[in-house]
Amino acid sequence: MDENPSECTRRSLLKTLGIGAGALIFGNFLDQTASAQQAPAKRVPTFTGPAANPYWNSVGEMATYPQKVPLVLLTDRPVQLETPRAYFANAITPNDAFFVRWHLEGIPNQVDLSTWRLRVDGKVNKPLQLSFADLVNKFRPVEYAAVNQCSGNSRSRFQPRVPGGQWGNGAMGCARWTGARFREILDMAGMKSGSVQVQLEGLERGKGPDGMPSNEYKKSLDLNNPVFDECIVAYAMNGEPLPMLNGFPVRLIVPGFFATYWVKCLTNVRVLDKPDDNFWMATAYKVPDTPRGSTTPDDVKAGTVKMLPINRMPVRSFIATPDGSTKIPAAMPVTVRGVAFSGYGKIVKVEFSDSARGAWREAKLGEDLGPWAFRAWEISWTPARPGKYSIAVRATDEKGNVQPEEGVWNPGGYLWNKIEREEIVVGASA
Amino acid sequence: MMRSLRNRRKIFALATGAAILAAGAIYADLQIGYYSAGNLGGIAQPAPPTLQANDAYIVAAYPRYPLTLASGEGEQDAAAYCNTCHSPNYITMQPPLPAATWEAEVTKMEKTYGAQFPTDVHARIVSYLQAHYTPQTRKAR
Repeated sequence: MDENPSECTRRSLLKTLGIGAGALIFGNFLDQTASAQQAPAKRVPTFTGPAANPYWNSVGEMATYPQKVPLVLLTDRPVQLETPRAYFANAITPNDAFFVRWHLEGIPNQVDLSTWRLRVDGKVNKPLQLSFADLVNKFRPVEYAAVNQCSGNSRSRFQPRVPGGQWGNGAMGCARWTGARFREILDMAGMKSGSVQVQLEGLERGKGPDGMPSNEYKKSLDLNNPVFDECIVAYAMNGEPLPMLNGFPVRLIVPGFFATYWVKCLTNVRVLDKPDDNFWMATAYKVPDTPRGSTTPDDVKAGTVKMLPINRMPVRSFIATPDGSTKIPAAMPVTVRGVAFSGYGKIVKVEFSDSARGAWREAKLGEDLGPWAFRAWEISWTPARPGKYSIAVRATDEKGNVQPEEGVWNPGGYLWNKIEREEIVVGASA
Repeated sequence: MMRSLRNRRKIFALATGAAILAAGAIYADLQIGYYSAGNLGGIAQPAPPTLQANDAYIVAAYPRYPLTLASGEGEQDAAAYCNTCHSPNYITMQPPLPAATWEAEVTKMEKTYGAQFPTDVHARIVSYLQAHYTPQTRKAR
């Protein structure tokens, strides 16, 4: 359909020659008019499948929301927005580009801080009602950078495809979070002996009947999980108030864990003396108790798969640039950039390859923002000859976890972490 | 006076022409000013709300975007019932899914999430989804 660019120009040149020197000044004008009539604007398809989504991001329209730059729209009610690829060339994701994912349509547009309180109750000696100012002033501020990634990030890569939010790779981000240590808040309330979990609930509400998961979103954390001591109730994100769509006034930060536990607009903390059996813990967000959480549709159908609540994020790394949208001239050094992270500890190595069977070369790691943050990486790459290249990146964390070549499959569309590749066309340059 | 100006213009035009010709010959594959005939649509920026120095923290209303459901029998049922809890565009976001998966999804909305459909509505929504959103039936929009 598209007019071949060089042919178009050649034709206009011939036309110009035919008309003669007097019309030369108008050559450009005629050319523009001609090409405008020939090439309709094209967009990415409106959906992908049944094959895997071949695009880095999801394929929705770009949409603007309060406090946000244009992001990739998955759904508008509740709001689900994906961060475009280019933002992952840096270790910190700006607040206004940070992805958005809600479960229920009742998302706050207004929060009144004179009445808003963080309530701590359940199996405690002294129930608390803390104001925003209490959280800021009565606790020693703790700050660290941490990656927030949706459990279903990259779900659109699954084969066979599974229902759910069809995220590309952009349902993730890394911010500097500042807040009060969750443990200190609970110590102030005094947990009774025999407590096993803490249940978290925010302002999010749905139109479903009372007691149904379509009405309320609740998650729980085990008290004996080591992550418990790392959690903070964050009131600042990259040094600013949280955007409303990312959980103003406060959200729980659970570093290393998937975002499902990072409850937004946190209002209620309940100490439980038995494990939470609400839908969002007992049924949803569960992964197979198998290596890498992978199984098959047949085993799921047979009902032989034991499922566990999802928890830590497997090691991942991404190429932000070059993104394959344009050619690279041969013999020119280009800087390949991206980020890596793991929910199991800090990134110790990022490797780069430029062919399917090629050797891996170690990339240069950027500033260390702590074990839960994105680790930016870069490497200089000089493709010697024109042709098609498949470039790849692979990360290793401090526990020795390395990204594999194989994908996973599970019914929820969780835990995707295979090695990412990008097809790059290198052109002749002389 | 007039004539010399006209002459000068002619010389200038010829020189420019020659330059463009030369440029055309050298950069034969150069392309400039290539715009498409259609457009991909634009999305308006939401206006910020008026802020006051009180304790209410507000953002503007969250924008909605047009429904993208395929036309056909059952479309109204899907649009109306699904819309109770979420945008019907949750349907169009999905990849093509097998007929049995759509049946299971509608049942999940009722049994797990508490949606209440009359029996005939359940059947109409399931057949609508199967008629437009399986690998065999889904069409590009």
